[in-house]
Amino acid sequence: MSADFRSTPVIALTTVGAWLLAVLWVLPLLYGFWTAFHPAEFAARFDLSAPWTLDNFRRVWDAAPFSRYFLNTFFLVSLILVCQFVICTMAAYAFVCFPFRGSEILFMLVLVQLMIMPEVLLVENYRTLSRIGLLDTTLGIALPYLASAFGIFLFRQTFKSIPKELEEAARLEGANALQILLRVFVPVAKPTYIAYGLVTVSYHWNNFLWPLVVTNSVETRPITVGLQVFATVEQGVDWSLVTAATLLSVTPLLVAFLLFQRQFVQSFMRAGIR
Amino acid sequence: MYQWKKTLAGGALATLAMLALASGTALAKTQVTFFYPVQVGGPLTKVIDGYVAKFEAANPDIKVVPVYSGNYLDTTTKALTAAKSGTPPTVAVLLATDIFTLIDEDAVQPIDDFVKTADDKAWLAGFMPAYVASAKVDGHVWAVPFQRSTAVLYWNKKAFAEAGLDPKKYPKTWDEMVAYGKAVTKKDASGRVVRWGVGIPGNVGSAQWLFGALAAQNGVRLMNDAGNQTNLTNPKVVEALKFWVDLNKVHGIHPPGIQEWGTTPSDFLEERIAMIWTTTGNLTNLKANAKFDFGLAPYPGKVAPASVLGGGNLYIFKKAPTAEKEAAMKFIKFLTSDEILADWSINTGYVAPRDGAWNTAALKAYAVKVPEILVARDQIPVSVPEWSTHENARTGKVLNDALAAALTGTKTPQKALADAQAEIDRILKPYR
Repeated sequence: MSADFRSTPVIALTTVGAWLLAVLWVLPLLYGFWTAFHPAEFAARFDLSAPWTLDNFRRVWDAAPFSRYFLNTFFLVSLILVCQFVICTMAAYAFVCFPFRGSEILFMLVLVQLMIMPEVLLVENYRTLSRIGLLDTTLGIALPYLASAFGIFLFRQTFKSIPKELEEAARLEGANALQILLRVFVPVAKPTYIAYGLVTVSYHWNNFLWPLVVTNSVETRPITVGLQVFATVEQGVDWSLVTAATLLSVTPLLVAFLLFQRQFVQSFMRAGIR
Repeated sequence: MYQWKKTLAGGALATLAMLALASGTALAKTQVTFFYPVQVGGPLTKVIDGYVAKFEAANPDIKVVPVYSGNYLDTTTKALTAAKSGTPPTVAVLLATDIFTLIDEDAVQPIDDFVKTADDKAWLAGFMPAYVASAKVDGHVWAVPFQRSTAVLYWNKKAFAEAGLDPKKYPKTWDEMVAYGKAVTKKDASGRVVRWGVGIPGNVGSAQWLFGALAAQNGVRLMNDAGNQTNLTNPKVVEALKFWVDLNKVHGIHPPGIQEWGTTPSDFLEERIAMIWTTTGNLTNLKANAKFDFGLAPYPGKVAPASVLGGGNLYIFKKAPTAEKEAAMKFIKFLTSDEILADWSINTGYVAPRDGAWNTAALKAYAVKVPEILVARDQIPVSVPEWSTHENARTGKVLNDALAAALTGTKTPQKALADAQAEIDRILKPYR
């Protein structure tokens, strides 16, 4: 049976299929690229002799304080990433190495949280933030996401797969609980951290509804909310501006992904998130 | 971990307190939070900031915090979330059609409550009756018309001349629109249409708006003023939808399937469609980018010409403190003064909803330069309010889905509308 899968036609078919899907996937990006670098009249026309221009980017950059939005998003994502790593690591470590009465039930409760869409809690979260005075702050946007059930679950599974012998060897050497975590568990789980980091960074880079609702000022708005200025449908969509703005906002992620592509893909294979 | 969060929160609180102390004088001012969407391009936030600065200069005891909050849908989400958790904005520009939703959610307060002096009454009486009609429910006026628009027809004069039509004559009846449309529809050698006669956007979100105009042109309204009855099975409504479907199916002058609202202006600019149905709000954009001569016309009619109103009103939120609401009322009166409305109209292309605004020197001068805006104004008396009922988001979706089904040919107009009416009857039952 398995030999069949390796036969030439099947491989060819898989390759063609993969290419087809890849092209389909990259088409919107290519369209965005084309439109962003050309004057508006070429937005829906493909013409190789069309003049190239950076004018769209100039207009976009002038229309909104993008540098500020980038900074806001960068702070927001970094804050969430660091907090999630610390909190989820500690929680997962406790679940794996320090079982206590009811820890299984507690873990189930954490898993239950995976089932709840954050949007359902919009009003309640808003009320909480308003009570502690954190509306319209970067911390306020981040607060509901600082701990992640998915992160805890993922790290727990990874830690569980680490051989007990490693932990015991470290303990024989005289390492304390914190040293075991930092010297044994975290290094072994590095691919999981990278993979989870990528997921969380791209999620929060793209998050829209919650930041929209809690932010009121340019000083706190992340780039997704700032981009809204260009999605003004009533007057018809100016595709060159929209694509230029979109390219601007996804470029940092895209560049990071291209640079670290190999590491990312490997981490995903090892961490088992796909 | 909890401790850590608390420390951070505490730190932030302390910082806030310090800021408040540092700007002690600012606290004495009444603060008005103003949520507004911008539907027509980026730099308008600067125009609003300018109005706010002007208002604050005249009212030093009031501080207005303008919050640009995305499109209408985003602004409504944001305002309702804030209102539900007890800290609403003081005033917001939201869709006129959201009125029943806002009342049902107990979020807004009637404007009547704040209209006290004879001066206030005179101000309220100065709005065009067609626009105030869509803000009236149960004998109260719930909102103040601000950025209002109406749907109009743009026609490509160059294409008309090319087809041997009089470029100055626009269609006044459905039959004329079909005849002109047939004349301007152009095919290439292989029989592919390179220029369609007419385009009426039918995507979710605009279909219900323009269908309201089609029905009104056939002499019927889609829903009642109380927002709890709809009329979709009326033979005249069915006839209106059949006309829309037949533009492609029978006459071959409308692009097949669903015409997208967002791309309609560029279809017009690139001469792929010779007549388009869209908003007055597009005038500035088309003026700036069209490389041919075009005109703006009122809608044609079957029984009589008619159009549909659109756009947003100013609402005051019920749960805001009384002092804030009083201050917000002052701000609303300022924003809807004849001068500001005239200026807003010139900057955006919205139709100023007060006759007084049209008598200002600024708008009169602008109308000489851009006479098209007068067409929009003159059409208002024959325009009907857009689709608005209780549970508006749900009923609107049902109607939009029905229109899409008919336009794409999966259901006949009759079947699509009958199904929609049955579904809407179920949704609106509690409100009857």
